[in-house]
Amino acid sequence: MFYDLNIPYSANDTHLPRTLAFVSELGYNVVALNHSIVGKLPAQITCAIPDPLHLKDLPPKLSIRRRVTLTLTESHQNARLAELAHAYDLLALRPIDERTLQLACSSLDCDIISLDLTQRLPFYFRFKMLSEAVKSGKRFELCYSQGVLGDSAARRNLIGNASQLIRASRGRGLIVSSEAKAAVGCRGPWDAINLAMIWGLPQEWGFEAMSKEPRGVVVTAQLRRTSYRGVIDVVYGGVKPAPVEKELQDAGAGKGKGRQQAANGQKRKAVEDVEGGAEARVEVAEKPISKREAKRRKHQARLSGVDQNGGTTKVKGDSLSTKGDGERRGRRAEGRGLATFGGSRMNDRLVSYRH
Amino acid sequence: MVRIKHRYLLVNILYPDTKSSHLRPASKPGDDVPYTVQFRRPSPDQVNGGLLMRLIRDGVVELFGDYGSGKIAGSLQVKYFSPATSTATIRVSREHYRLVWAALTFTTRLPRPVDQPCVIQVVRVSGTIRKAEEEAIRRAGLSIRRAEAAAKSSNVSGVATASATPLAVAEGDDDVDMFNGIEDRDEPGDVDDDDDG
Repeated sequence: MFYDLNIPYSANDTHLPRTLAFVSELGYNVVALNHSIVGKLPAQITCAIPDPLHLKDLPPKLSIRRRVTLTLTESHQNARLAELAHAYDLLALRPIDERTLQLACSSLDCDIISLDLTQRLPFYFRFKMLSEAVKSGKRFELCYSQGVLGDSAARRNLIGNASQLIRASRGRGLIVSSEAKAAVGCRGPWDAINLAMIWGLPQEWGFEAMSKEPRGVVVTAQLRRTSYRGVIDVVYGGVKPAPVEKELQDAGAGKGKGRQQAANGQKRKAVEDVEGGAEARVEVAEKPISKREAKRRKHQARLSGVDQNGGTTKVKGDSLSTKGDGERRGRRAEGRGLATFGGSRMNDRLVSYRH
Repeated sequence: MVRIKHRYLLVNILYPDTKSSHLRPASKPGDDVPYTVQFRRPSPDQVNGGLLMRLIRDGVVELFGDYGSGKIAGSLQVKYFSPATSTATIRVSREHYRLVWAALTFTTRLPRPVDQPCVIQVVRVSGTIRKAEEEAIRRAGLSIRRAEAAAKSSNVSGVATASATPLAVAEGDDDVDMFNGIEDRDEPGDVDDDDDG
């Protein structure tokens, strides 16, 4: 899966289907359409990109995300940043100077930090600042299209800034994307990786910057928007079961601290919590064998199993049936190990004969 | 004596723009041709190996200056170019193939007599010319199959888009993606049966 998380979007762009088809042809699987906001946020924040794109001839295998890039000019917008983030799938920030970069790295909550690398930046990147951002899950973006299409000065700045960014971030937490305004600006994923390699990023990390890191960004952003506290998401909530266990709920009502089930995409509620608590209790009732005790029993079971000449050892009672299973599995694995060992020995012998 | 090692870059020239497509199927207007066919259309007649050489040399000079140009000058050669599929095989020495690759990536137009926007994609980096050739053949077949599938789905699209498109694409599309790398490893058994350079 290759990702290109920056395809500029404008509402009256007639070439967009062509660009998307071209990107798909080059081998990308996921793209993000980017809407840029410069200056003040509008009063009513809505997503500028329609959710099912009303375009014909969309490539069928391409998955499309919506992203917004906000150019950071002054800092008093961050109160509405969360609102902006919720309207889109991805939120990127574009700092213009060192102060806003510091702000974006440390306090502002975003997914991608996208610097304009085609300009000469009047400051150095510092590892401390960048690593702070990377640690909190933000990724830095390298856009190569300006270097491909732009003039020589833009290309020079891009190469200089990109190698600076690679040096300062030590190659970690980068994503490579195109920012191509037309199809001509896009390049194949491996071509982009090679470019990054010329700029100083090792090939494996360049590969990660096209695949693993942007995937992390997309998935984390999605989790942050839909899930319970960014930890648990319900992929399929299933049907709601009929409420049958009334008295059980009453019994477990005291247990507040249980597992956090976010059924049906909602936040934790009292009823689910109660069920979780009851379940946890049942588990506790079955659990009290210590590790040492378990080991001892296992050992005994094995001894008795050896006495009965292998085969099925029915271990005491139902509560230990899982253990018996595990033990049997372990023995089978041992057997297999022996077999492979024998096989390898045989191979050795074969090899030695061949010699 | 130690053999000089080369890399063979298998490249595709893609034409992202609709303009000046000189070879257009006579029966259809241009917009009806599926995108995959438009992008992978045949090159104009003026494009040949010499023009590609010029393009690469100029690109390397522009990006890497005299140093890069001198480094690749001894080994650079266009081994094969097919205008019908817009595919070429380029030979460079193994140490410096990334310079040529970068120059190809930074190309946006074919040079003067053609003067047409293009994107050059490297689809295979191979240690022997045979592997590159096999890959070229495989990809040519694949692009034909894709074009057929696209044509079929666009014909049907008025009736049942949803059912036709994924089926058509699912046929042979998966082996085209080069997710695990597009470079050959050097294998001891590989014999480079080309030693005229």
